[in-house]
Amino acid sequence: MMQNRLSFHQSSVSLEIIGLPDYSNNENNDQISIISQWKLTIADKPLIEGKIEHLGPIIDAFYIYSNLLINNEMPLYESKLIDIKPENLYIHNIVLKSSKRDVKPLTIKIGNSLLADTINCFDQLNESSKIIMKKQVVFNNVPIKAKFKLINKLKFYNLFLPPLISICSLVLFSTPFIYFYNPFVNEEKKEFINPE
Amino acid sequence: MSNRLNLNDVLPNKVTIWKLRNNNPLRKSFINNNIKPDEFDALIKIAVELSRYLYPYIREILRSKEDPKNNSVIWNDFKKRFIELINERFNINNIRVKKLLNQTRNDEILIKSMLTLSLCISNEGYQKLKNFLLNIK
Repeated sequence: MMQNRLSFHQSSVSLEIIGLPDYSNNENNDQISIISQWKLTIADKPLIEGKIEHLGPIIDAFYIYSNLLINNEMPLYESKLIDIKPENLYIHNIVLKSSKRDVKPLTIKIGNSLLADTINCFDQLNESSKIIMKKQVVFNNVPIKAKFKLINKLKFYNLFLPPLISICSLVLFSTPFIYFYNPFVNEEKKEFINPE
Repeated sequence: MSNRLNLNDVLPNKVTIWKLRNNNPLRKSFINNNIKPDEFDALIKIAVELSRYLYPYIREILRSKEDPKNNSVIWNDFKKRFIELINERFNINNIRVKKLLNQTRNDEILIKSMLTLSLCISNEGYQKLKNFLLNIK
């Protein structure tokens, strides 16, 4: 059976998806929902290809990294399959780790322009009506290191917790020393001052 | 462009856009008009449409800075023009504007701004840019 091929291009990057439609779901002949292979071609860089189970994590890695890059000071994405970290403001190092033994990780350096091209290719893939992929919730797949940074970003606790603790401790320590007004004691004192 | 994006009700003419621009507190002509949510959305839609149109230029500007061996002429031209515009239109006594004008430290701001625009050219670019803007520290 002939497989369908769909390509997405953005300047120096192209993404090719190869697969078949799911006829049991009455899909059209030109659709792809059973992806057998994908290829990511970045100009002047080695070809990146793999199976369907690798495509989702790689797309997520790029999206999460780009979000961290724009929102954080020091972005870093690490997982079993792919690491992305910045070399400087302009260059990013991508380390692709093979699941096979004895295969060394592949390191690719890309600039901001190629990063933008790659993410725009993934955007085209996500928006394409011809490819039906199980959309993964990006934030469920955030690796531990990235999650930690996201938690750090929650400044809500940093802002409200210290004054709350200080108020509570002040109340706790001052309660034993609280002075209650006793009118009888006051009366006695007045009598002592003015014996008449 | 506002015609094409069906924004005629919010942005009927250029003067409306000019007035909205003056909501920027960094501008010399800053007037606090309290921008409305639909005006905010309309400006984001225009920014996304413009970045889609200008993507090849944005990409070249980013690329020209990537190779340190090459003399980044495009980057230098862009930065020069950016600083000229800031000097001309922004309140240069403001500390944040001074930061934008700082030649040694403004690279990061410029790169992140260009990268943000270049990532928002898809059909869902409007939502992306809005999220980026609302998440800015």
